[in-house]
Amino acid sequence: MKTFTPPPIRPGIHPRSGLGYRIDHGVRSSVPFLFVFFVTLVLSAPLNLPGQVELMPAIIMATIFLWSVFVPALMPSLAVFVLGIWADILSFGPAGVMLLMMLIVHGVALSGRYTLARVNFFILWLVFGVVMVGVTALQWVLCCALALHIVEFLPFVFETVLAFGSFPVLYTGFVWTYRFVVNNADRA
Amino acid sequence: MPVSIQFRQALGKLVLPALILVACGVILLGKADRGLIEKLRMNTADLLAPAYGLVAWPQEKLRWVSGNLQDIRNLEAENIRLRAENVSLRHWYDVAAALADENATLKANLHWIPDNAPTFVSGRVVRDTSGLYARAVLLALNPDTAVRKGGIALDGAGLVGRVTEVGRRSARVLLITDSSSRLPVTLESSHAAAIMAGDNSALPRIIFYPQDNVPIEGERVVTNGEIESLPAGLPVGHVHYLRPGQPVVVPAADLDHVDMLRVFDYEDSVVPPDAPGRVPLPAGGGAMPLPAHPDQGLHG
Repeated sequence: MKTFTPPPIRPGIHPRSGLGYRIDHGVRSSVPFLFVFFVTLVLSAPLNLPGQVELMPAIIMATIFLWSVFVPALMPSLAVFVLGIWADILSFGPAGVMLLMMLIVHGVALSGRYTLARVNFFILWLVFGVVMVGVTALQWVLCCALALHIVEFLPFVFETVLAFGSFPVLYTGFVWTYRFVVNNADRA
Repeated sequence: MPVSIQFRQALGKLVLPALILVACGVILLGKADRGLIEKLRMNTADLLAPAYGLVAWPQEKLRWVSGNLQDIRNLEAENIRLRAENVSLRHWYDVAAALADENATLKANLHWIPDNAPTFVSGRVVRDTSGLYARAVLLALNPDTAVRKGGIALDGAGLVGRVTEVGRRSARVLLITDSSSRLPVTLESSHAAAIMAGDNSALPRIIFYPQDNVPIEGERVVTNGEIESLPAGLPVGHVHYLRPGQPVVVPAADLDHVDMLRVFDYEDSVVPPDAPGRVPLPAGGGAMPLPAHPDQGLHG
């Protein structure tokens, strides 16, 4: 007796499966995670770049913000948590502060994504700036509270400005990565 | 176990608040148990130290090459300057030799106890761990070397900082510019004792100097033997006034580009003997004998 199998809707087109496809797909979807992971690692190396210390949180925050707004499936909360721990281990600041900042940026982006994903780029940029100001202010307050004295706030201002300024570059990178790296598997 | 879609959605909504709570927990944990976080960070730094070394090597070569090129360009001017300097140094060499001779003679007459030479190890700085809150560098070390917490780090020109954390292959050196660094110093010409307090800027401040003996612009600043692990007389830098009433130390060491450090172990150099802090009472339990009362007073 033969079991009934429904005929394919569009004969000839099958989603490819198998080990190769799954590895390819896995690597492509972990690009955002790996990007933040390696940016943290590389920027903690002694490159002697000017503003290197402030650049790391700036790039991390902008990347997490963008992926959380547009493709939260590739930047889940757990991944942000792991990246936060990693950044905290490499950064020698007060423990947990970077982690908390990253989770807050992720949370804000996630909760507002239905609005944020549709708005103009410049408004998105502005929203990111406001989020960065809030998060950096929180970081400054936490640092002061944990160090029990007033920490100089100019580096924090610099960090915010750097994050705000590097946002368009990261946005371009994000669009390119999303179009040609993450999604390419389904098109080719 | 199959769960309903609603339940899974509710669970998904709870993940982020739970993670934020965990992050707050991590902050508290870092405050409560500093050792754990430090151990974790030092272990990671130990693992990454060879990789950081690889990154530092080409940079150093590049700097060497560019320095060489610049030297070649300024050769003529440099030669003239060096000749002038050589003449002056020759004079100072004679003075120093005469003074050394005199010093040796005087010490021989005084039964001077020579200082014991401190042990030291040298290491390459593999990473600048300075952040928004701290000024510190990470030093790569051979696992066999005994570097202890509290070791004194110097470069060729002067004091750089103190060792605060020691891993198996690396040690963290807190620079004198860090905001938590407070060192007792002596100002060499005015002979005043003061505290050099870092504030995360390039120039640490001088605080607690005597108000009737203010620091003089340009005078040398050396360490002062107030704390056990830091001997007196190590060069730190010189005094500079940013504005009237705000003296700072311009460090002698090149703190922007530290690449080689010597870590000295002065741990048991001078240990003060146990002093009870008061004059022992005479045996017998009696009070101190007072001088005899002069009876021949006005009434006598």
